[in-house]
Amino acid sequence: MRNRLVLQGITQTFEDGGVKRTILDKLDLKVAEGELVAVMGPSGSGKSTFLSIAGALLEPTEGQVMLDGASIMGKNKQDISDVRLQQLGFIFQSANLIPYLKVEEQLMVVAKLAGTDKNKAEKRVDELLDTVGLSHRRKAYAEKLSGGERQRVAIARALMNDPAVLLADEPTASLDAERGLDIVSMIARLVKEQGKSAVMVTHDERILPLCDRVLFLENGKLVHH
Amino acid sequence: MYLAIREMRFAKGRYALIATIMVLVSFLVLFVTGLAQGLAYDNAASIKNMAATHFVLEQDSNHRFTRSQVNQDQLEQTRSVVGQENAEPLGVKMTTVSPAGDTKKIDVTLFMVNPEGWLAPTVTEGSPITDLKDGQVVVDQKLSESGVTIGTELVDQASGTKWTVGGFVENESFSHSPVVFLNEQEWLAIQEGSRTSQGTAYANAPLYSAIAVKDAGEKVDSLSTALPNTEVITKSDAVSAIPGYKEEQGSLLMMIAFLFVISAFVLAVFFYVITIQKTSQFGILKAIGTRNSYLAGSVSLQVLLLSIGSLVISVLLVQLFESILPASMPFQLSLSTLALTCVLFVVMSMAGSLFSVWKVTKIDALDAIGRTAA
Repeated sequence: MRNRLVLQGITQTFEDGGVKRTILDKLDLKVAEGELVAVMGPSGSGKSTFLSIAGALLEPTEGQVMLDGASIMGKNKQDISDVRLQQLGFIFQSANLIPYLKVEEQLMVVAKLAGTDKNKAEKRVDELLDTVGLSHRRKAYAEKLSGGERQRVAIARALMNDPAVLLADEPTASLDAERGLDIVSMIARLVKEQGKSAVMVTHDERILPLCDRVLFLENGKLVHH
Repeated sequence: MYLAIREMRFAKGRYALIATIMVLVSFLVLFVTGLAQGLAYDNAASIKNMAATHFVLEQDSNHRFTRSQVNQDQLEQTRSVVGQENAEPLGVKMTTVSPAGDTKKIDVTLFMVNPEGWLAPTVTEGSPITDLKDGQVVVDQKLSESGVTIGTELVDQASGTKWTVGGFVENESFSHSPVVFLNEQEWLAIQEGSRTSQGTAYANAPLYSAIAVKDAGEKVDSLSTALPNTEVITKSDAVSAIPGYKEEQGSLLMMIAFLFVISAFVLAVFFYVITIQKTSQFGILKAIGTRNSYLAGSVSLQVLLLSIGSLVISVLLVQLFESILPASMPFQLSLSTLALTCVLFVVMSMAGSLFSVWKVTKIDALDAIGRTAA
């Protein structure tokens, strides 16, 4: 099993009124292919910071983030954008779809940005919409979709460019229990099927049984309970 | 491309509103520009139509033909510098005439030109200027609106001289008044009339208002040294010194400049507000790997589409307007002015969008994390 996402000695500090605060303290994490890891922790424990670093949105004060064995540190803005586009897939809290795009276009735009061949991209869109069960809604705008449907579109969008790593930021926060379970089991299934490494930050304890590992963010480190 | 066009398709109402404002502003820009051009031409057509490049005027005449007097000697000297063929005498005098037997008064400008010279206009109706008999003049077509026809006798109010209209010319005006062309003989006649009354001594030396010079090239510099007590001005100097020309063009030009600035600001504000409203959306797009350049291009493309679209509509509107405007309305929009105005408008619009583009590139992708709603 290879580890598609590796975080090594991640430290994140910032100055707060002259006092140095450490949010993450030499944090290590390895996520294997096909593995879904849940990260829990109280508010203010640094979950968002952790996810931002893993998602190449924030450069850590110290440490390394490796995707498929290659470090993404020290790259310029454009290359980092490309890393996010090609190697990472994001699922945000309330889907965060683009309001003026139809379902199929939500996926298509990611392929466009990556410069994927049109025929190939269309095939991939069909395939993914089929996988998340939204083929019949492909011409609908985001506002016409239910919360669960929106989150399924977000999952499909995150997988569009066949990334190495899937990152989810409280994907069930705006869903009821049943929909939440549906969504996470879908994520878990796709992560297995497509061999991704996935990290999910969550508060929702009901979905934990669907995850391979559950870690807690405490004092800037990830620990097992 | 992909995002910009789909967003405009989705938010049709919003973009239609701003496009409407742009159409109105650009229409006004084009219309006022056309009016300014039309008025400029109407004001100074006779000078603008002249083949001259420079004019020799009396010193301290403030570039004004009507204030200047040059004499035969100065004409000869000018000819000796720039060549016999390249200098022509020109007389300009503003006066009021009445058709004989009528109480109607018409302001006109008298232009004395040499009928064989290159300042002579082309007659569109009646006999050519070279064939004029004694006491005959050619006048601008505009006088026909006051009932003047070929054969009508015009009486000069100032000197009491009578002329018979021998032909018509088109588009000849000076300071918005129609031009009456006469030859040297007639010009001398009115001069003598006023001279004798003033009792001046050198009655026989012909006096002109200015000397028109063409093809002078570098000899222009030597002209001013060869001719003391004169000033050598360019054609555009002469045009802008026509009474009322600068004032008229200045105020119109200010309107046009303001309209350009207004259009830039309207667009700037509109896109700035939209951009702020979409901050989290841009954050998400950046988080999933959209480059800054793509988003900036997307905003610019929308501005470009809006400004070009509005321009196309307003150019059509202006053309429609032009066709229904009364002929007496001075309106002139040449292709080159139209193109220049359109290009300027697009450039100003793009400048207006710069602020939003800058704002877009400043939005942090981190905005997408920990947000509950898009």
